Amino acid sequence: MEAYTVVGRIGEGAHGVVVRAKHNLTGRMVALKKIPLRRLDQGMPTTALREIKALQEINSQHVVRLLDVFAEGAGFVLAFELMLGDLGEMIRDATRSLTPAQVKSYMTMLLSGVAFLHLHNIMHRDLKPANLLISDTGQLKIADLGLCRVFNRQGKRLYSHQVATRWYRAPELLYGARQYNEGVDLWAGESDIDQLCVVLQILGTPSETNWPGLSQLPDYKKITFPESKPVLPDAPPDALDLVKKFVIYYSDKSTPHLHIRLSSSLPLCNPLVLAEKPVTTLHTLCWPRALLHHYFFTAPLATPLSQMPVPPLDKKPPPATQEYITDFPLHHITDAVRLHLDSLYLKG
Amino acid sequence: MYGSSTQFQSWTFKDEHELAKLRFQVNCDFIEKFGKNMAVRSYEHSLREFCKKFRDPRDSRIRMLPSVTTTAQHYFKRFYLYNSVMDYHPKEILVTCVYLACKIEEFFVTINDFVYNVRGDKKKAAEIILNNELQLTQELQFHLIIHQPFRPVEGLLIDIKTRFPQLRDPERLRPYIEEFLEKVNLTDAILLYAPGQIALAAVTNAVSRLGENLDHYVTDILFPDEQKQHLSVLIEAVRKIKKMVKNAEPPLADAVRREIEAKLEKCRNQQNNPNSSQYRAHFSEWDDDDLPIAASPFNDDIGLGVERIRSPSTY
Repeated sequence: MEAYTVVGRIGEGAHGVVVRAKHNLTGRMVALKKIPLRRLDQGMPTTALREIKALQEINSQHVVRLLDVFAEGAGFVLAFELMLGDLGEMIRDATRSLTPAQVKSYMTMLLSGVAFLHLHNIMHRDLKPANLLISDTGQLKIADLGLCRVFNRQGKRLYSHQVATRWYRAPELLYGARQYNEGVDLWAGESDIDQLCVVLQILGTPSETNWPGLSQLPDYKKITFPESKPVLPDAPPDALDLVKKFVIYYSDKSTPHLHIRLSSSLPLCNPLVLAEKPVTTLHTLCWPRALLHHYFFTAPLATPLSQMPVPPLDKKPPPATQEYITDFPLHHITDAVRLHLDSLYLKG
Repeated sequence: MYGSSTQFQSWTFKDEHELAKLRFQVNCDFIEKFGKNMAVRSYEHSLREFCKKFRDPRDSRIRMLPSVTTTAQHYFKRFYLYNSVMDYHPKEILVTCVYLACKIEEFFVTINDFVYNVRGDKKKAAEIILNNELQLTQELQFHLIIHQPFRPVEGLLIDIKTRFPQLRDPERLRPYIEEFLEKVNLTDAILLYAPGQIALAAVTNAVSRLGENLDHYVTDILFPDEQKQHLSVLIEAVRKIKKMVKNAEPPLADAVRREIEAKLEKCRNQQNNPNSSQYRAHFSEWDDDDLPIAASPFNDDIGLGVERIRSPSTY
C-alpha cells in the first residue's frame, strides 16, 4: 500500500470500496479495489480469487488489466488500470448520443474481448454496461470477472444459475438451467441496444416450438412474458439481424436431451441460421464469427478508436449513500394543494 | 611469530562477508542433512495422505480431485522455498494449502466440512487456516493458477490413439500414469519441469511398465523432422523426471518423524505458534486497534465482524 497514494474515491463495488490512486514509483494512475476479509466463515472470497486467477492468466487490450495484487491490513487489494467511465454512462449521456458508427465500434471491441475470454475457456457470466469500462483513449474493456468461471467444453459440470444481473440474464438461466456454456455471455452481448424484455419481445415468449427441451427446465412455469410485436424502432435492419441472431432460442439438435444448449449459445454458427456451416466448427468460432457478420462491413463503418468519445474527466463522484429526508412535514404540501383546489372550487 | 602462524593462515579472514558466508553455509549444511528438507519432505507425504483420506462429511462418496492435491503440493513446495519450517509450522501450512487449493480448483467445501477432516480441535484448526490463508497467498505472490500435467496426458493419449494405433488400447496405461503423477508431486521435478514434459514422462513410463515401447511415436511422430532439434532437450528432461520419481523418498519411519516433530516444536518461532503466550500477546496487541491499517483510506473496512483475522503485516 505504501507504493500508492490515494487520490479519490471511485465507487463501491460488490466487494468493497474502489479508490483512485497513483503509483508513486511510476506516476501511473490506478484503480484500487480493496477486498476486506469481513466474514470469517470462509476466508478469502472465492469470487475475488477467481478474478485474480483469470486476470493473471490473460492479457488482452479488450480486458481490463490487473497490475498488482497485494495484502493490505486484514484484506487484500487489487490494482487495476484506471478507467474513466463505463458504457452505461456513455449510453445515458444525453448531451452526446452515440452514432450508429460508434455503437458499431463498441460492438467490435466488446465482441473481440468476449471472443478472447471464450477462447481461453472463461465465461464472464456478468456482462452488462456497468462492467464494460471505457478508457481514457475511448477503448472499451471488459471488467469485473468476479463471477467468471473457467468452463470445460466436454464437461457436464453443473454451475449455479444465480449468475448475471437479472436484466441481462440469459433465458436458460432465468429458467433455472444448471448446465450451460459460454452462450450466457452471448445473450448479454447485445445489451447496448436493449434489455431482456425487449429481446423477448422480438421473439415472443419462448415456447416448445422454437426452443426444444424448454419445458424440462426447472423454473419453466414460473415466468411468463406478454406476447407483443417486435420493437427496436431506431435500429438499422442489419443491426436488427445481428441482434436476432444473438437471441434465437435454440437447442443443439444432435443431442437434444443431453445438453440444453440454446440459442444464444450458438447463434451465428447455428445450423438453422447458417445451414451450410459444418457442425464441427461450432464451438470455437462463435464470437469471432459474430465479428464477421455483415453488420460490421456495411456503412456506416465502425468509428476508429482515435475518434471514439472519451468519458469526461471531471465528473462528480457517485454518492456513497444517498440520504433521503423522511421527516419532511408533508402537511405543508397537502395544505397548499387543498387551498389551491378550494380556490378553484370557490371560483367555479 | 604471527605472520607464519596457523592463526594467520587459516583463521584470519578477508572480511565480514566471508564470515557470514561460512556461517550461513554451515547452517545450510546442517539443515540439509537433518532439518528443514527432511521436515518438508515428511510433511509432503502427510499432505498426500490428508488429501487421500479427505471426505466430505455431507457425502462420503466425494473424494478429493487429483487436481486439488497437485495444486496443494505446488503451494506447499513454493511456500517453503521462501520460508522456514521453523517460522511456520508445516502442519498448519499444509492444511491451509489444501484449503486454498480447494477454492482455486473449484472443489467446493465449506470451512466446517473441511476441518471435519482435521484431527484435534476443529474450531482451532479453522482459526489457524483462516489466519494463515492470506499470509500463504501473499507468499505465493498471488500466483494461484497451477498448470498441471493432467490435460497434457489426455492430449497425448488422444494423439497416441489417432496417430499411433500400433499401441493397443492406451486406456490400459491409466493406472500407471496416475501412480506416476501422484509420485512426481513428491519430488522437485514439479518445480523444474513443464507439465507437458512431466506428462510425457508419465506416459512413456507407463508404456515401459507394460513392457512395450513408445520410442517410435516420440522420435518420429511427435517430433517430425523439422522439429528434431527439440528432441534431445525433451528426452533429457523426461529421463531426469523419471529418475527423480524412481528415487523419490518413501515416507519416513514413524520414529524418525516423531523425532523431527519434537525438534521442530523446540525450535519453532513462538510468535507464530498459536499455543504460545507470545502469539496471544501479539494478538491482543493487535486487538487494541494498534493496527497497521489505521491510516488507510479504507478505514471503514476494518470492522471484521465477530472475530478478527491476523494481518500478515503484523508478522
